[in-house]
Amino acid sequence: MDGIAWAVSAMSAAQTRLDVAAANLANAATEGFRRSTLRGSLTASGVRLQQVLDGAQGPLRQTGRPFDLAIAGRGTFRVRGPNGKTFSTRCGSFTRDRNGHLVDRAGRSLLGTSGPIVVPSGGGIEASGEVTGSGLKPNRIALPEGSTLRSGFAESSNVDSISEMIDILSAQRSFESAQKVVSAIDQTRERGATQVATVHS
Amino acid sequence: MNRALWAAATGMAAQQQNLDVITQNLANADVAGFKGAFASFTDIAGPGGTLGTQSAAVRTFFNQGRLVHSGGPFDVAIDGPGFFAVHDSRGRRAYTRNGEFSRSSDGTLRNAQGWRLDGVRIPSGATGVTVRDDGTVTVQAGGSSKTCGHIRLAQFAAPDALESSGGTLFYATPSSGKPHFVAPGTPHGPSLAFGSLEQSNVTIVEAMMEILAAQRAYEANAKGVQAADEMMRIADNLSRS
Repeated sequence: MDGIAWAVSAMSAAQTRLDVAAANLANAATEGFRRSTLRGSLTASGVRLQQVLDGAQGPLRQTGRPFDLAIAGRGTFRVRGPNGKTFSTRCGSFTRDRNGHLVDRAGRSLLGTSGPIVVPSGGGIEASGEVTGSGLKPNRIALPEGSTLRSGFAESSNVDSISEMIDILSAQRSFESAQKVVSAIDQTRERGATQVATVHS
Repeated sequence: MNRALWAAATGMAAQQQNLDVITQNLANADVAGFKGAFASFTDIAGPGGTLGTQSAAVRTFFNQGRLVHSGGPFDVAIDGPGFFAVHDSRGRRAYTRNGEFSRSSDGTLRNAQGWRLDGVRIPSGATGVTVRDDGTVTVQAGGSSKTCGHIRLAQFAAPDALESSGGTLFYATPSSGKPHFVAPGTPHGPSLAFGSLEQSNVTIVEAMMEILAAQRAYEANAKGVQAADEMMRIADNLSRS
């Protein structure tokens, strides 16, 4: 790789950093959102970036709605869409539908260890994930050991706006620097091509 | 860079919508029976990570508001779950927790929009209107006490799925289910408070704080747009230097 190729790879890395930071920032208000981070390494073909999800716990915010569930610790909610497809999510904003099922905002139903979670009128969800209420076959939201469920809370996005802003600025500066390097190399080559062999007559 | 530009733009749009919802809450903070709403967002999944954010839902927050003595002769507040059933101008049944009723010339109780409360008609010339805890309305007419209606409260299996019309009036939808009418005043059910109104469940201080946070978030995303724009300018300069 020549100098220009290295500088171009630095520019493209800076662009990726900006893309990721802007997307994180846009999701600063998205419940249960996990920010993406970039892991960079130098390879023979330039800077290589790998996107990794940051699994850090987002802050829990009290909402007072009984079916806003937040996981304190590891684990995800499993939801099933109307087409039967299942998804994992950290966003625990559910409501009780008219059949007592807990459904998310897209209408997908929350799954427990034995089928969809059904909460009877007056029932609720315990910190262990257990469904309470009379006349039910036992069902619980599966959680890994050590995690608890907080009912009436929502997990905010784990994006920290300030650090994303700093990332945006620093990506912009690296981009600028790399562009200067490209220009400098280009100018040097131009001189090489036009001045080194100038024959004065 | 275009990816960053679009991601930041979706963030701005989301915060704009968030601000709209919060300011509507704030504007109605003094309206009896008003229920605040909140916007929630979800990420846009794309190849190679998220592409930004989008609105997931704007939902009504049905928490109980504070009951405040208002002194109006036909003011009623609900303590507990349930709605008053009224008939809108097109005869469609709507549900509300705003119990600011007044007696109209035809003897019916009507809300501020002129919509009629279901189930009560007070005969002309009646005096001494009293409402019992179980919602039975009685009047003194011609020296005797006479029942002239019952206030029943509508409850829904899934009130979250009601369609909101301005935050005080709601309509049933297929997902909310059909209303189930209950008499107030039972031991574990809702009760009525006469001469009182339910305040909106919006807390002004909280709404103000949300506005500040949403504004800052909007600005942060605007900076993201600027940065993406600036980088495009720099990239442009490559061909000019």
